Amino acid sequence: MIQFFGKSAELQLEKDVSTRYLPVVIAAMIFLAALSIGGLFSLSNAISDWSKTLTDNLTVEIAFDPSADLDKKVTDAVALLSATPGVASARAIKQDETLQLLEPFLGKNAALGGLPIPRLVEVIIAQDSAIDLAALNRKLAEAVPGARLDIHRPWLDKMVLLGRSIQILAAGIMLLIGCVTVIIVIFAVRTGLIMHSEVIQVLHLIGARDNYIAEQFQNYFSRLSFLGALPGLIVAIIVMFIFNFLVGSLEASMLPPLSVGIEGTVALMLLPFLVALLTKYTVRRVVLKSLRRMM
Amino acid sequence: MVRFENVGMRYGLGPEVLRDISFHLRPGSFHFLTGPTGAGKSSLLKLLALSHRPSRGLITLFNKEVSSLARDDLPSMRRKIGVVYQDFRLLDHLSALENVALPLKIAGAKNDQIYQHVAELLEWVGLGRQVDAKPPTLSGGEKQRVAIARAVINRPQLLIADEPTGSMDAEMGLRLMYLFQELNKIGTTVVVATHDLELIKRFGNPVMFLKDGLLTTRVQDELPATFSKDPV
Repeated sequence: MIQFFGKSAELQLEKDVSTRYLPVVIAAMIFLAALSIGGLFSLSNAISDWSKTLTDNLTVEIAFDPSADLDKKVTDAVALLSATPGVASARAIKQDETLQLLEPFLGKNAALGGLPIPRLVEVIIAQDSAIDLAALNRKLAEAVPGARLDIHRPWLDKMVLLGRSIQILAAGIMLLIGCVTVIIVIFAVRTGLIMHSEVIQVLHLIGARDNYIAEQFQNYFSRLSFLGALPGLIVAIIVMFIFNFLVGSLEASMLPPLSVGIEGTVALMLLPFLVALLTKYTVRRVVLKSLRRMM
Repeated sequence: MVRFENVGMRYGLGPEVLRDISFHLRPGSFHFLTGPTGAGKSSLLKLLALSHRPSRGLITLFNKEVSSLARDDLPSMRRKIGVVYQDFRLLDHLSALENVALPLKIAGAKNDQIYQHVAELLEWVGLGRQVDAKPPTLSGGEKQRVAIARAVINRPQLLIADEPTGSMDAEMGLRLMYLFQELNKIGTTVVVATHDLELIKRFGNPVMFLKDGLLTTRVQDELPATFSKDPV
């Protein structure tokens, strides 16, 4: 790796005490950035899944009525929905399944059987079909008193809004991490320039171009960034796995597991290279700008 | 080769350390620069070595006016100038060979050519056995010779030396002055700044005399016997 980035033969930046902890700081930054990326992509995937699932999926809710024959209402609703063009399937959700859905909120030991729980029918809409949901809702209410079509849209809209807000926050955190990294690198480079000013002056006076000096700085600092980014990324990936393991161990958890998908994986893998490139570009600009002030 | 016209120099907002300096060095000439301590010799050498710009006046080096030079033109100009500093300015972590090779490496020469030339030159200045020695392990005279070798490795058109014999015994000092003479004979313009009036008298080259920031040209007979508090 050292060969790849080159050595700072004349300046001997490798022996600088001032930059010794830079990889640690970069590792911490990359750790946070990787977690932000994990959150960003997981949320993006989750929103996409919710939208897809809930767009094709409707629920009919038949209000609890102790005096009515709820089983008949359910059968009538399923029959009506099954006969509706554009409906792929309509399935009555059994009482046990409904109770299972409530278990995470009310507990296993609660006397769920005695609760006035509405009856549910799951409706799958056929792909590429255009159903007038408002008309279907009216028709259903007339045929089955107490039945209501829940299209999930208001809930989904709120969830999507929440998800997008968190995504913007994560992107903001990424931007902040990038800015802080750049500032830290700038301070480290400026310290290096001051510490090595005599050698730089000698190099200039024997004919070295600014690029020659800048290359030694940019190679060294991008190497530090890359070597710092690797452990930061590895630790972040381990943390994500631990998080997923913990989420998986919770029964019927409300927390989705971190799933970054292919794009997220690529983004994570590119992170050390991107931080090395960002460092290289930053260092080059700072060094060239500082050298221009010299004769 | 080198032309100064009414050149003045000051550091920051301080007083002028050089005033109305005008002279012309022809290609292949050999000049001594002398004067009492604080006269401005080092400042004049800094202007010659392109490490500082003048506050006023015109400096022409290799037929180019220095103040009109773009920053990108400076490295190629500096490669035509060899400088021997009083404090050597060697890179302590590099060996004698690597220090001397530096100007060639920076100029983009190939490694095999670099090290062949450098080894020969180090042999010639009497450091053939210390090519791998780092400057902190060398004596003052040896460091000075490494610095001289670094200054001349590029065959500069202009060689500037600031007290080059100050750190060595008389015999080695003379030997290095003969080296400068040899380089001068093959066309290198040489400027040697020194306090050593005996050395100046021995070689008999033209002398630029600096006092209180003003430059005069003197013949050997007009030089003071010593640099006391109030010379000449």
